[in-house]
Amino acid sequence: MTAPSPNAANADILVVDDVVVRFETQEGPVTAVDHVSFGVRQGEFLSVIGPSGCGKSTLFNVIGGLIGHTSGVVSVGGETIDSPHKSIGMVFQEESTFPWRSVTDNVAFPLELIGMPKAQRIERARHFIALVGLDGFENRYPNELSGGMRQRVSLARTLASEPKILLMDEPFAALDEQTRLLLGDKVLQIQQQLKQTTLLITHNITEAVQMSDRILVMTYRPGKVKRIVDIDLPRPRTSEIVGSEAFGRYVAQIWADLREEASRGMRDEEEHTLHHTGGAS
Amino acid sequence: MPASAPVLSPVTVLRLVIILTVLAVWEFLSHSGWLYRDVVPSLLAIGRAMFDLLAHGEYYFNLAVTAGEVGAALAIGGGLGLVVGIVLGANRFLSKAFESYLYYLGPTPKIIFFPIMIMWFGVGPGSKIALGTLSCFFPVALSAAAGMRQIDKVLIRVGNSFRASTAQMVFKIYLPAMRHPIINGVRLGLGVALIGTLLAETKLSNKGIGFLIIQAYSIFDMPRMYAMLIVLFVLSIGANSVVGRLGGLDSIKRS
Repeated sequence: MTAPSPNAANADILVVDDVVVRFETQEGPVTAVDHVSFGVRQGEFLSVIGPSGCGKSTLFNVIGGLIGHTSGVVSVGGETIDSPHKSIGMVFQEESTFPWRSVTDNVAFPLELIGMPKAQRIERARHFIALVGLDGFENRYPNELSGGMRQRVSLARTLASEPKILLMDEPFAALDEQTRLLLGDKVLQIQQQLKQTTLLITHNITEAVQMSDRILVMTYRPGKVKRIVDIDLPRPRTSEIVGSEAFGRYVAQIWADLREEASRGMRDEEEHTLHHTGGAS
Repeated sequence: MPASAPVLSPVTVLRLVIILTVLAVWEFLSHSGWLYRDVVPSLLAIGRAMFDLLAHGEYYFNLAVTAGEVGAALAIGGGLGLVVGIVLGANRFLSKAFESYLYYLGPTPKIIFFPIMIMWFGVGPGSKIALGTLSCFFPVALSAAAGMRQIDKVLIRVGNSFRASTAQMVFKIYLPAMRHPIINGVRLGLGVALIGTLLAETKLSNKGIGFLIIQAYSIFDMPRMYAMLIVLFVLSIGANSVVGRLGGLDSIKRS
């Protein structure tokens, strides 16, 4: 084991350095992300977990280059991000398949954008469709698939662009618990097979512990880094690990951290509601 | 469900009964002598006139003129409507400034602009195309603007995250995502373009179906006039169902 050297940041493929995001709202400025710094190593699976309203989705959009940040630097492979970067592939929380495209054409979309010849991109798309376990559904349309299958199409589409970093924002949030666990298995399997560097934004502790090498716990508003936890569980993993004792300890440890933040969030929301109904009456 | 379904559904039977009743009443009226000669010509006379009509090239020439006018109106008015609708749908400021005019002008009967169109574009097809274009523009523009605002925002974020260019965003995301409202707008647009063009032809023209109809009327050739109306009905139903089929085919593949 080597201790992290002061130059460890140089080994990080994605660097988030002292990032601040401030929004102007009608009730004044709100700091969504407050001096957040962390790095993601090559091949690593890092999860960012936090209560609702901790600014984790804002962070997702900033790293994806979809929204700007107030100060600090986000860089991938040494290149500063201020717009969507080709090394980063995003998977969104919402239903995001194109309903007018077949599964194959959905997955081939990013390849079509870069002008890859048709035969070649269909072949590539089929490879990634098989990877997410949807072979046989190539010519189906999204409305013929279940929610979990559609989310796998989105995942395959993003993987087809062969990003250096897979960036996912609660991709399983809309799914039921069993589908979520099975899909988690699929993602783990793919991630381990491709050695895909992955950054997962989530509020689900089980999901985070099941998949991650490290978990970054964020505080409730303003979103800061509260703690980074190393998850020292053996790989390759599957959802079966959920039953192990070590798994339970990690979940308890992270819940202890999160509990405080989540209840702070809840109190804040209650006060906010009270204040506003009070002001209105 | 009974094992042996009837050959004709009750709805079909009802429709047939209604059609046959109307035809029978018509035929009875034409032979009754109650109305002025030829106001209600016999079905046989109309059938003969229709045969005459369809056997001569003159009709097809005029049909082609009208179809060309409607097609040009749909292309120009629909194209402009699409562009204006997309711009208004994408830009909140412009939509606030201009969209209410579209709502006010949309239902105005465009035929009142016909005298101006004649002065600008002459008595020939030009003024008919202009009127059809004017009619067609509004429904297409309004549908496109509404369609643009209905696009699922996450699809736009997906496009951005894959670094799609503006042209790629328009052709691979905006337009396909808006296809239902656009097809609907084109359908409405086709209807009003047809109305506008034919109305203009019946007012003042020297060729086209509207011209033939009004010509038959002016020499009181009623069987010929009815024959033309029937053919026109069939053609417009056909045109509408072709556009509708485009939309229907697609809805199988979901919204």
